[in-house]
Amino acid sequence: MSLRVLNPNAEVLNKSAALHMNINAAKGLQDVLKTNLGPKGTIKMLVGGAGDIKLTKDGNTLLKEMQIQNPTAVMIARTAVAQDDISGDGTTSTVIFIGELMKQSERYIDEGMHPRVLVDGFEIAKRATLQFLEKFKTPVVMGDEPDKEILRMVARTTLRTKLYEALADQLTDIVVNSVLCIRKPEESIDLFMVEIMHMRHKFDVDTRLVEGLVLDHGSRHPDMKRRAENCYILTCNVSLEYDKSEINAGFFYSNAEQREAMVAAERRQVDEKVKKIIELKNKVCSGEDSNFVVINQKGIDPPSLDLLARAGIIALRRAKRRNMERLVLACGGEAVNSVDDLTPECLGWAGLVYEHVLGEEKYTFVENVKNPHSCTILIKGPNDHTIAQIKDAIRDGLRAVKNTIEDESVVLGAGAFEVAARQYLVNEVKKTVQGRTQLGVEAFADALLVVPKTLADNSGLDTQDVLIALTGEHDRGNVVGLNQHTGEPIDPQMEGIFDNYSVKRQIINSGPVIASQLLLVDEVIRAGRNMRKPT
Amino acid sequence: MKEIVTIQVGDYANFIGSHFWNFQDELMGLASDPHGDPVFNSQDLNMDVLYRTGETQQGILSYTPRLVSINMKGSLGSMSSHGTLYNNDAPIASDVVTWAGQVSTHVSEHHKRNLFLQSLYEEDQNLNMANEANGGSTGSQREYQDKDIVDSLENGVQFWTDYSKVHYHPQSLYELSGVWMDLEEFDNYGIGRDSFAWTSHGEEISDRLRFFVEECDHMQGIQFIVDDSGGFSAVAAEFLENLVDDYTNTPVMLYATRGPGSNARLQSKKHTIFGDLHDAISFARLSSYSKLIVPIGLPILSTSKASKFLRINDEKPYHSSAVYGSALHSISLPFRMGPVRPTSNACSFSGAVDVNGVIEMLSGQGRQNMVSILDVAMPAPTLTGDNEQSLLENLQPLTPQIEEDVEDLQAVEYLTVHGALASAGHRASVSEVKDMIHAAFERSNMRPMFCHLSATLCPLPIPLPFPSIFGNLVGQRGELINGQLTDASRKGSLDVHSIPMAARLRSNSAILPFLETRLRNLHQFGIERGALGAPLLSSWGFGKEELVEMEEMLSKMVIALSPPQLSDSD
Ligand SMILES: Nc1ncnc2c1ncn2[C@@H]1O[C@H](COP(=O)(O)OP(=O)(O)OP(=O)(O)O)[C@@H](O)[C@H]1O
Ligand SMILES: [Mg+2]
Repeated sequence: MSLRVLNPNAEVLNKSAALHMNINAAKGLQDVLKTNLGPKGTIKMLVGGAGDIKLTKDGNTLLKEMQIQNPTAVMIARTAVAQDDISGDGTTSTVIFIGELMKQSERYIDEGMHPRVLVDGFEIAKRATLQFLEKFKTPVVMGDEPDKEILRMVARTTLRTKLYEALADQLTDIVVNSVLCIRKPEESIDLFMVEIMHMRHKFDVDTRLVEGLVLDHGSRHPDMKRRAENCYILTCNVSLEYDKSEINAGFFYSNAEQREAMVAAERRQVDEKVKKIIELKNKVCSGEDSNFVVINQKGIDPPSLDLLARAGIIALRRAKRRNMERLVLACGGEAVNSVDDLTPECLGWAGLVYEHVLGEEKYTFVENVKNPHSCTILIKGPNDHTIAQIKDAIRDGLRAVKNTIEDESVVLGAGAFEVAARQYLVNEVKKTVQGRTQLGVEAFADALLVVPKTLADNSGLDTQDVLIALTGEHDRGNVVGLNQHTGEPIDPQMEGIFDNYSVKRQIINSGPVIASQLLLVDEVIRAGRNMRKPT
Repeated sequence: MKEIVTIQVGDYANFIGSHFWNFQDELMGLASDPHGDPVFNSQDLNMDVLYRTGETQQGILSYTPRLVSINMKGSLGSMSSHGTLYNNDAPIASDVVTWAGQVSTHVSEHHKRNLFLQSLYEEDQNLNMANEANGGSTGSQREYQDKDIVDSLENGVQFWTDYSKVHYHPQSLYELSGVWMDLEEFDNYGIGRDSFAWTSHGEEISDRLRFFVEECDHMQGIQFIVDDSGGFSAVAAEFLENLVDDYTNTPVMLYATRGPGSNARLQSKKHTIFGDLHDAISFARLSSYSKLIVPIGLPILSTSKASKFLRINDEKPYHSSAVYGSALHSISLPFRMGPVRPTSNACSFSGAVDVNGVIEMLSGQGRQNMVSILDVAMPAPTLTGDNEQSLLENLQPLTPQIEEDVEDLQAVEYLTVHGALASAGHRASVSEVKDMIHAAFERSNMRPMFCHLSATLCPLPIPLPFPSIFGNLVGQRGELINGQLTDASRKGSLDVHSIPMAARLRSNSAILPFLETRLRNLHQFGIERGALGAPLLSSWGFGKEELVEMEEMLSKMVIALSPPQLSDSD
């Protein structure tokens, strides 16, 4: 997909033309993304020039797949992607909100209003909306045992915007349980400790939570066991390869014997390291019905593998750097950087380790661990684009749960917040503002309604009717959102439709910043360069 | 056997790589051809060094390059990023299994296969059909000739995939998405650093590299080719930084490449400073993560001495990258010399060495100089006794900004000669090559301190999609025909089937101008008080300290090569 609203090479345009170019670009991007929004949105299948497929319902992924040329659109896209980096969700809302701010402004500007006035109004409205959000949000007490029910509802709300209901619901518990598994009291949640692994499987769409770790490689020796129970796990970062080069030139060694002696000495050093590992194995496994597994971040060469295999040890090499941390959190023990540090206390433990082979791909499951603080979500899907889409959805779900725990609050969804904030701005804030700046506040307030409007539109409902019904209820003091099936007002609380507080906050913050920049152009903005993380 | 993993970052790097892999593919084809020239059949090159054996989900064996290629989204033309072998089933919009709501399909303009790719595709199809029909007749007749293919490539190459005949593994081709920039805009280190966030691509890129490394029993090194003319040098630097961390003991041999003309930036003063700073920063960053760096890419290749027998169009990356790709091939031959089967004739090669060996040789001796010059003789002249066209004199640099005819008593050289012809058109034996080279060194008045020579019988094969860049004096086997050099016509793969080659890496103080320019520019435009480029560098994210560190590194490089000062006054 490409978006070329205007020739990006146009150098300097006059102010008004530039402004309209910005408005058009923002509206253009809004048009592309708005059908994405909500559980009734449209999924997009993108087929590339060579037939490659991407499947996405996510604003972030869609933007990245697009070839955006217009510098204004690039700026908006960067803001939206930053939104995702920071809060993990809300990219679609960000883009349509910015588009709507520009659209609302256009009306006033065409009537001759100076953009500066609008921008001032935006600033006031933004601050008021953020304050309102503080009152409006629903606090959630987290403590030692988080309220699992609320976490489930937040996860479900997000997942259902990306996957069909049954699939979303199946993933809900997986997502919540994984975050709870890795959570440590008093520490921020590191979602990298949830590994996401996938397998291609012709007829299967299935996802499960593995308490433990799945690695995408196997042992490299034919004699090593493919399945073992009661395993000591040694997590290490020690080179078990002979890595000096052998040079035939005879340039570096004065004679062949000297060279061979060097080679032999080097080899011995590697063997010594392997032997220390074997000693430890013999010590802990003696007389026990147990096994020993080495998972190494560095390489292990064939002679070392031979030695290990003969000692009955299973060994994996070149593990991901992150898996060093994950393994320790899953199995216990600690990661070892030198064989001199080997002690039985370094070892972790897993009830079961086994290998699974699929074509040329191998997987190693490290399961049945005690008290894990790292886990793996394993996705099965028929092809890469399906897997990728499920993976994106899971990432969103994980972020939503993490945000909820860290925000200690949630926000009523289905458009409830946007309508409430709009009514607050129009009914309360606007009258406190002097002169024409009021109109800026109003433009901002109306732009908020783009969320419920688009949700209604995507559900095939009449947006006018819906908005009238919703605003009417709010004016009567009832906080309601949109029922996507009927268009009637519903209570999001009852339905369990919750969004993240930090996501909403970020949208309200960044949308007007970018819109203001676009409104106050003096000349065409070339693709914004240092715009990756606007605040 | 010791494996090499190749990494290609950026557009021009992939153009070069595409040629490089075409040569490998061609060699394998020739080796398995029972009627082929036996020099290709000698089994002295172990392709497993560069290739991996795998298996598709359908259980079909595959043999694909150990390669991670990074490029901008949209740069693969008509090739799928999954490669051509491991194809998933053809997609149907209706089988969206994750969403019950509406589906909208957006189809980008389909890249039509060019005639060459079309012919490859048909060949595969015919092969499949023939297999299914159990050896039945080989499908339909092609309506076009090889000449049509060559012509269509000559005029129509847009992507590096347009002339690639290689099957790539699905893990190999990584596209950078979300950069939202044309290649022309992606033209400096700062933009690369800004628009490429390692956090959002790094995990995936590292995983792909790990996939190839994990299966190596004993990796000898990484061959890293980067297009350093623009933003990709920042991408490569980030990649290298992480890679060096993960694979501490694995030597990285880095080719910093660029196409003709990319040095000649816009004329205005500001743009020159811009370009100069880019060059300085890019070089400093890249060299700090590699063991050996070889800058490649003349501002004008067509009229350079290296192109004496070639007719290059500088505007076409397809042309110039063929020369660099050929040189890289020659340099890499000794890394995989070694009999695959013990029975094979051990006399057909000599001077096998591994990546680390070459690096140690060139940069680890006496003075520590990690920057090497690449020279090439393409084609290598006939090794006659009289030196009308002497091989040593025909070796001409592909590295820019170097000094000519420098006497450097500490020079170290690594020379590979392959497929050389002796007089009367027969292939020179390995010992003949060695003797001739020794004799040539004896005669020469500028001898390096040390030269390592590798030689093999196997010439550079010229695959069909190779561009028509040979001049009129190059014969079918790459011999130089007596006659007048004319501009009349270009010869291509239909006229020239193979060529003898010589390529050389040398550690020589002739590289000083290259280094000094970068040092001077960094200092003058970036560090000095009131330097014009200081704000630019800070917008690229470089603090003063970092810059000073780079300056120190560059100046160490310069000092290592500078002749000792005679009068050391203050
Ligand atoms: N069941 C529901 N009924 C009505 N509205 C819902 C429901 N579930 C979620 N929503 C609303 O859908 C919106 C979120 O949609 P969606 O996740 O598609 O977009 P986004 O979060 O803005 O962007 P993205 O997820 O693409 O980064 C929120 O406003 C949310 O309140
Ligand atoms: Mg969302």
